[in-house]
Amino acid sequence: MHELSMADAIVKTVLDVAEKNQAEEILEVTIEVGKLTMLNPEQLRFLLDVLKENTLLEGAEIIIEEIPVEIKCLSCGYAGSTNLNDSDHYLVIVKCPECDERNLEIVTGQECNVKNIRIEKPE
Amino acid sequence: MHKIADVEIQHDIMVANKKLAQRNQRILDKANVFSVDVLGAIGSGKTSLIELLIKKSDEKIGVIAGDVISKFDAGRFQQYDIPVVGLNTGKECHLDAHLVEHAIEDMPLDEIDTLYIENVGNLICPVDFDLGSHMRMVVISVSEGDDTVEKHPLIFKDADLIVINKIDIADVVGADAEKMVKDAKYLNPDVKIIKSSLKTEEGLTEIIKAIKDFRDSIN
Repeated sequence: MHELSMADAIVKTVLDVAEKNQAEEILEVTIEVGKLTMLNPEQLRFLLDVLKENTLLEGAEIIIEEIPVEIKCLSCGYAGSTNLNDSDHYLVIVKCPECDERNLEIVTGQECNVKNIRIEKPE
Repeated sequence: MHKIADVEIQHDIMVANKKLAQRNQRILDKANVFSVDVLGAIGSGKTSLIELLIKKSDEKIGVIAGDVISKFDAGRFQQYDIPVVGLNTGKECHLDAHLVEHAIEDMPLDEIDTLYIENVGNLICPVDFDLGSHMRMVVISVSEGDDTVEKHPLIFKDADLIVINKIDIADVVGADAEKMVKDAKYLNPDVKIIKSSLKTEEGLTEIIKAIKDFRDSIN
């Protein structure tokens, strides 16, 4: 529900890096979005498409990579991904799939990371 | 001639917010101010609860009143002659650490010992944004429906205190307050859960004590 502010922050970050690298055009942007964030990738993409108009980003391809949830159980030591069930997709953060304990640490799945860009620049 | 280059960025906006939040907390710690992020649905009783805390608790309170248009809530707090900073989010559905950083700059921290930060009424977006507060208190009410907790697990999982308000009208709106308590316990087994009616002040003493106990537990 806050995709607009996120999209805005992403565009600012990308344009800032592109300018520092003397980019004349940005060809590609890769963004990582964790599955536990309150961000809908499709809405994010739509807003990025709106915001990129009339900027160096205008022709860029936006690649959104969804990052799965990985947990570490502090009770049994289980580490890794877990079965995400779309109808109850937060269950994973409540109980360890191995031992059913609730003593969990979320390792991945909370990102909104501007990973890299591909640019065109003068030789 | 042109060449194509790949540039690594690795700038996580969530992490950037978290860092700002940590900075906010350091500023508050330095001033010896305990802060509470007050979260909850629209109309659940966040503003009313803070008003009662101002009236009934013996803390020196300051309030950051965050809302899409903050002047209404800020006006309610100002009548108690305490430091209030209104924080307009405009179109935004949540507060973030950067907005709070500026609000803290305008807050006379040496005049207060507790800072309540009233977030925008929303059970979804604020989850992603740590503000730097020491405690997260979530206020919901039975009139939002007794499935509110299970539908918004993340905000309850991270809460330090959960207030289920308006229990005096539970029967009228057909809500089962005990179900809400049970759902919250499932998500957050150790959290303190208080059923209240801020209208009759039922549960208020318990809330004041829970906030004080939490403050003592982290000191």
